[in-house]
This record gives sequence, structure tokens and C-alpha cells, in this order.
Amino acid sequence: MSQLKTPAITLKSRKWGEADRIVTFYSLRFGKLRGVARGARRMKSRFGSALEPFIHCDLNLFEKRGDSLYRITQADIQETFPSLREDLALMSGAARMVNLVAAVTAEGDPSPRVFETLLGGLRSLQEGSEPGLTTLLFQIRLLGQTGFRPQTDHCTACGKEFGKSRRVGLARFSPQTGGLVCAPCASRHPDRCLPLSAGSLAFIQQALHVPASVLPRLKATGRVRHDLEAAIESYVTVVAGKRLPPVDFLAPPVSL
Amino acid sequence: MSVDQQGLLAQLIRELVRLPGIGQKTAQRLAFHILKTEREEALRLAEAIRAVKEGLAFCRLCRNIAEKELCEFCRDPKRDRTKILVVEEPSTLYAIERTGGFHGLYHVLLGSLSPLEGVGPSDIRAQELVDRLKEGEVQEVILATNPTIEGEATAIYLTKLIKPYGVRVSRIAYGIPVGMDIEYADEVTLIKSIEGRRDL
Repeated sequence: MSQLKTPAITLKSRKWGEADRIVTFYSLRFGKLRGVARGARRMKSRFGSALEPFIHCDLNLFEKRGDSLYRITQADIQETFPSLREDLALMSGAARMVNLVAAVTAEGDPSPRVFETLLGGLRSLQEGSEPGLTTLLFQIRLLGQTGFRPQTDHCTACGKEFGKSRRVGLARFSPQTGGLVCAPCASRHPDRCLPLSAGSLAFIQQALHVPASVLPRLKATGRVRHDLEAAIESYVTVVAGKRLPPVDFLAPPVSL
Repeated sequence: MSVDQQGLLAQLIRELVRLPGIGQKTAQRLAFHILKTEREEALRLAEAIRAVKEGLAFCRLCRNIAEKELCEFCRDPKRDRTKILVVEEPSTLYAIERTGGFHGLYHVLLGSLSPLEGVGPSDIRAQELVDRLKEGEVQEVILATNPTIEGEATAIYLTKLIKPYGVRVSRIAYGIPVGMDIEYADEVTLIKSIEGRRDL
């Protein structure tokens, strides 16, 4: 048995047994990990709110050889992101962020870039950025960092590069193949392809390549925004292998 | 010891494993215990399970567990019908009832909203609460959902849903548990307890 310490962000937590919780984190040093927090649901638990989703904490763990579950011994809160608990739109955006991280990362495969991207995404929401756009940027960025970068330089069906002779403007987006398909390939499976305007394509490329500090300056509205949201939503469903709860999942109710 | 996968004992173990918090080994231990107990004792357990499933249902008004159409609280004429306390599960209702400090009616949501798991408004008994407000007798709704992300989402959602009906909506207080040293409280609880302070 060895004791470990790492900064971590809580992705999700579920009840276990009488008063315990099994918590999934994305940690800086060990990537995604799951741990048991004994007595976490008791009134006077030493964990308090430290194991709630979206909390950034310093985690102390015991690793037991041959057991994929760690034992959580202590969690010291670093950031609580209180707005994410008080606003349904921000909460839904943050939920999509942690759900996507949980879906596209493997346990025990650390990536400091993924950790920083998640932390940055939650901070942006907390600071009041528009939740729909912030979540969209986060998803494109994370897909690029986890091996699912949307391919934009060649046709993902026939492999031909989009040189000057092949007009990328006629290409469409295929969630199944994870990128652009040229017009002739798209015409063979029109029901599986989505439109993607030149503006949407430029947005994806910028979201993937600009420094993190520049991300808040990227904007998308109108048709560009609509195309992007439809394309990324479909692609995320393919990558995650299931439909994640929508970004506007808990939109304010219409009075009855 | 491995159990024949097709046999009656294996069937019992498979059913026990479906219960929350019961793993394969615990299920096997319980199954062997049932096998060794007196026939009458084991059948009493089976009869109790059958009786619960056939004799209990959810209250037509508040969705608490009830033996009749209405639960004991909704039938009681002495309860204050101007206040409804909303909880996620019947077990919370009985915890509050044990305090003896609340004399109004209850509403059990039978769940909570979860943006993480995709549990939406149609999966909980929110509409039934709104239907009760339409009758006009209720003056206050007290939201006693858990102080978790799911409970908070539910409380915020219900507040937006209920406010247009002109009833007072309140949330149970957050704070330091009685008997605890403040220095050991976590940051979120401390902030909430300061925000929710009251005059003396």
C-alpha cells in the first residue's frame, strides 16, 4: 500500500453502501481515477463538500495493489466554483465538461493538458462566460487533446488532401469518420453528413490551435454557431459511444 | 466454492446481487444463510416482500409510501395544509417526521434532477407538486432536497417552476452540524452558513 497526493477535479460521485461514496476524479498526476470515500455521506464526514462534482481539491489517496479503486483519505478544497451550483445553465455546461472528460479518458493515463483544460473550462464558467459557447470551445479543445481531433485537412472517407484544387468549402462534416468529407464522398452518404460553413471550419481550427489565453476572444453566432453545435454534438455522441445529457439540459422551465 | 449456475441457489444469488450494496460474495453468504434457516423464518421474509409489493403503493397526493390511496400524513386533518415540505425520497420524510418539528404536508419527488446522469424534470414528481399548488390552499413550499449538486439543481428548478404561483418558496438552512467544531467544517458549508446567518 502506498500513499499518494495529487491535485484533482471531481467528475462524478455515486452512493455506495450505507454511507460511502465512489468518486471519479480527473487528477493531475494519475489521470482519471476512482476512489472510495468511507463515511462520506455521514453528517460529520471529514470530506464535507470536497467530493462534490466540479470541486478542485488536493487529494490524498491510498493505493492498494491489485485493486483499481483507491481509498480516499483526505480532500482539501482548492476551488469550489460556487456559481456552478447556483445557476442551471452553468451547471449543465459544467456537467457536459466533466461528462466528456469521463467519457474520452482512460483510467491511469495522466495528461496535464487535459487537467488544465478542464480547470480552465470550469473557471471560465465561474467567471461568467456564456455557457453554450464556453462548453463548445471546451469540447473542441478536449477532443483535440485526447486523440479525437476533428480532421480538417483531408477527406476522412477517401483520404485525399484538401489542396487548392479541391474546394474545402464544398466539404461536409461526418461524425462517424470524425472530420470533413469531400463533396463526392458526402454525396454517397448524405444522411450521415452535416453542413459545416467556412466560418465554422475556421472556428474549429482556431479553437484547436490558439493559446488557451486567447480562447475567450473566439466568438460564434448565427449559422456558424448552429452548424458547430450540431456537428460537435453528433461527433461527441459517436466518440463517447452514447448520447450525453445535452448542454441546455436544465434550461429554465416554462411555467405551466 | 462455486455454485451451479443453473441451480435454484444460483437463481437466489442472482436476485440478491440486484439489491443495492450487495456484491457477489455478500449475496452468496445471504443465500447460504437463507438455505440454513428454518423454513418458516425464510418464508416469513418472502411473505414480507410479497406483502410490501402488493399492499403498498404511493400516496395519490404526496407520493409518499401509503397502504391506502392517501398516506397517513395526507389523511391527518390536524396537519397544516398551507405548508408543503418537498423531499427527494420517503426516507428523508421519515427523518424529518422523527424530529416532531414540522406539522405541514409533504411532497416526495422520488428522485432528483441530475445534469450529470441525465435525470430530467419528467423523471421526478415535479408536475404533481405544481398540480397541488393549483388548488390554492398552499402558502409556502419548503425545499428540503439534499445539499448535493443534484439536490441544488432540483431546488433551483422547482423554485423557477413554483414562483409564478405566488406561494412563498424557502430552502432548508445550510450550516454546521450541532456538536461539530467549526474549524473542521469545509469551505462550502462555512460560506453557506455565514450567508444563511440569522439575527438573534
